[in-house]
Amino acid sequence: MNGRTGARAPEHAIVIDLGFGDAGKGVTVDLLCSRGGYGAVVRANGGAQAAHNVVAPDGRHHTFSQFGAGTLAPGDPVPTHLSRFVVVDPFALAAEARHLTCLGVPDPLSLVTVDRRALISTPWHAAANQTRERARGRDRHGSCGMGVGETMAYALDHPADAPTVGDCASPELLRRKLERLADRLASVLAGESEPVGVSSPGEAPSPVGAAEAAGPGATDTGRRSEPLPDPEECLAAYRAFAERVRLVDERYLPRLLDRAPVVFEGAQGVLLDEWHGFHPYTTWSTTTTVNPLALLAEAGHADGARRIGVTRTFATRHGAGPMVTENVLLTERLADRHNRTHPWQGGFRVGHLDLVALRYALEATGGVDSLVVTHADAPARLGRELHWCVGYELADGAPLRIAPGDSPDLARQARLAGLLTAARPVLEPVPGEVPTTVADALNLPLEAVFTGPTRDDAHLPVRRLPRVGAFPRRMPLARHRVA
Amino acid sequence: MGSSSWSTDAYHARQAYQDSAGISSFDYHDHVTTRAPRHEWTVHPSLDPYGVTVRESRDSDAHPNSLAVSVLFDVTGSMGRVPRTLQTKLPDLFGLLLRRGYVADPQIMFGSIGDATCDQVPLQVGQFESGNELEDDLGNTLLEGGGGGQVTESYELAMYFMARHTAMDCLEKRGRRGYLFIIGDEKAYGAVKAREVREVIGDDLAEDIPFPTILAELRRKFEVYFILPTGSFHYRSDEVREFWEKHMGQNLILLDDLDAASETIALTVGLSEEAIDLDEGLKDLAEAGSDQADAVGKALRPLARGRGPVSTSSGIEELAGDGPGVDRL
Repeated sequence: MNGRTGARAPEHAIVIDLGFGDAGKGVTVDLLCSRGGYGAVVRANGGAQAAHNVVAPDGRHHTFSQFGAGTLAPGDPVPTHLSRFVVVDPFALAAEARHLTCLGVPDPLSLVTVDRRALISTPWHAAANQTRERARGRDRHGSCGMGVGETMAYALDHPADAPTVGDCASPELLRRKLERLADRLASVLAGESEPVGVSSPGEAPSPVGAAEAAGPGATDTGRRSEPLPDPEECLAAYRAFAERVRLVDERYLPRLLDRAPVVFEGAQGVLLDEWHGFHPYTTWSTTTTVNPLALLAEAGHADGARRIGVTRTFATRHGAGPMVTENVLLTERLADRHNRTHPWQGGFRVGHLDLVALRYALEATGGVDSLVVTHADAPARLGRELHWCVGYELADGAPLRIAPGDSPDLARQARLAGLLTAARPVLEPVPGEVPTTVADALNLPLEAVFTGPTRDDAHLPVRRLPRVGAFPRRMPLARHRVA
Repeated sequence: MGSSSWSTDAYHARQAYQDSAGISSFDYHDHVTTRAPRHEWTVHPSLDPYGVTVRESRDSDAHPNSLAVSVLFDVTGSMGRVPRTLQTKLPDLFGLLLRRGYVADPQIMFGSIGDATCDQVPLQVGQFESGNELEDDLGNTLLEGGGGGQVTESYELAMYFMARHTAMDCLEKRGRRGYLFIIGDEKAYGAVKAREVREVIGDDLAEDIPFPTILAELRRKFEVYFILPTGSFHYRSDEVREFWEKHMGQNLILLDDLDAASETIALTVGLSEEAIDLDEGLKDLAEAGSDQADAVGKALRPLARGRGPVSTSSGIEELAGDGPGVDRL
């Protein structure tokens, strides 16, 4: 924590993405932190596969992966806490810190605290992840190829052997764990894929097809980018991480939350949630407000958070899986500066704003308190009005209604994925300015509207008068006008 | 979302971590002192003693056998370098206590002491921590560098806080007192002043408390040591040494090299816990790659022999303090 002397922000904030990710959580967190008063940005799901692009008004650009997106806030950087729910990649953290140093952030690593109980993802996990995804061929799940899911699966199957952040400080213990990990994943790398996550509730996820034998270091179509690293080199690097970064125990976060309000920066999106997403095209992570609320409740702050949902004025998806409103023309026109075709996830897909999916996401996460709309300049860029999707129908014209399940049920989510793959969107022109119209449709107040990539492009639109009924004599807004 | 664009290469990661080590992390100090005139300097909220009920050292699942070790250091003028030294040596302190099995679950607290008569920030107290969080407390320490120049600092105010505003499982559950090390080079004031207590800590005291009285009260909770660096500005003043000899007896540790403060503290705890004798401890030091064995050995030889410095005054009740290894409650 550093001595940020600003107005105390009113309450804890939780920022989540109401789609498949990429909606603009990074700029939202950057905006909140620039208002001042937040003591830290806390990550409570996902790992280094997060990629939250923030462009500062002065033009500096950083893709936030494990550092919180409050690091470029004006005045002082807001520190980052990686909670026990995060899968930590110490190697990626170092590279990210280097880039932040280049951007002029002094000593970025001193801004980070990491819960000792968090899992670490290693090159072995990543290699196994890539081998499996390669073996799926055309049936890829849209994985990022970094091994975050592999890390979660391995920890479920072998809880005592899963390497943690705390282990980084004990090289001998970590060595034993890494040896076991390498042994167990060797069969995967040799192409004899065993099902993973056997002990997860529901059923065995990730049906893995018979792989083309891809030995270690194979250079087939999947192109493992580099051979597996030397375990000794890794141990030395993990140790350097443990010596350099502040590792904390279970008492740290409650105290942090007592001290000042924080921003919980979600990763991925609600529609990729491990239980509410469309199986198997999901992430091994809880992407709703569940984890932040659990951490707050543990610290006795159960009721003190503003939940903020983020959406673009159109839908996006990076990676495989159903996307009802996907549209080739929009994908071409609304190409994304920071989201290009990814070697593992494939292309960046764009579609019409999807009210049905937004409502599903809101229901899945138990609602939010306010809405941030990004890319409000898209209609202008598109040169035509945007449409939105107000319903789904199946091939025979029958309407399809979707709702989250009451209990975790992957078979149900897989059936849902099948139905969505076959569904067609019912499109209509958006009747009005997109941000305010969407907020009204979802019955949410607007937190901010972004018409460009930086926090300076954020504003709160002045609500136009309702177009029905008599003109009210006394508008609350009139106070701001000079008569 | 998407995917990390950051390299996940072990070699470069290690380089990055090692290259960035050793950067001063007194962020708060640098922030405050460069942006505000001195009369506006304030204590970081995390270290502010005002209104604190108790600083707690508690057992947890990870640390079932907690033992409280607190280190309070003088941050005025001549002593301003201590926290920076401590910070670079922190891993040694924990490492020594843990690796050698001196203490199963040490919980360490840092605090810093100024002069309540003239400093903006006369007392800063962290929390009992079981790991690297300690660096938070150090990082938030304001090194005021003031002090009154009258060979006196508000050690008694810090002692009052430790005596009345700490709660420890080691004491409450196991009847073992915690350890308190004060590192300083000046005398304490003759009494805890009710007015200062009100301003700095927020307690409503009816009257001042004489220094020997608060020290006796403190000793019911902590085994108290005073570390007097001999290289510091005031050491030549016999007045200071005699003051602490009188009140601390053999629990006064004269230390030639302040850089050995962490090692000295670790070994003192090891000796008191009867986990080692001095020679074993010095061997541990040498094995841990420390070049401080000479300074530490010299400082702790009297303590290890169970013989304090020759006192120049006698008849003071708490002259000898409590010897190492004695648990008198």
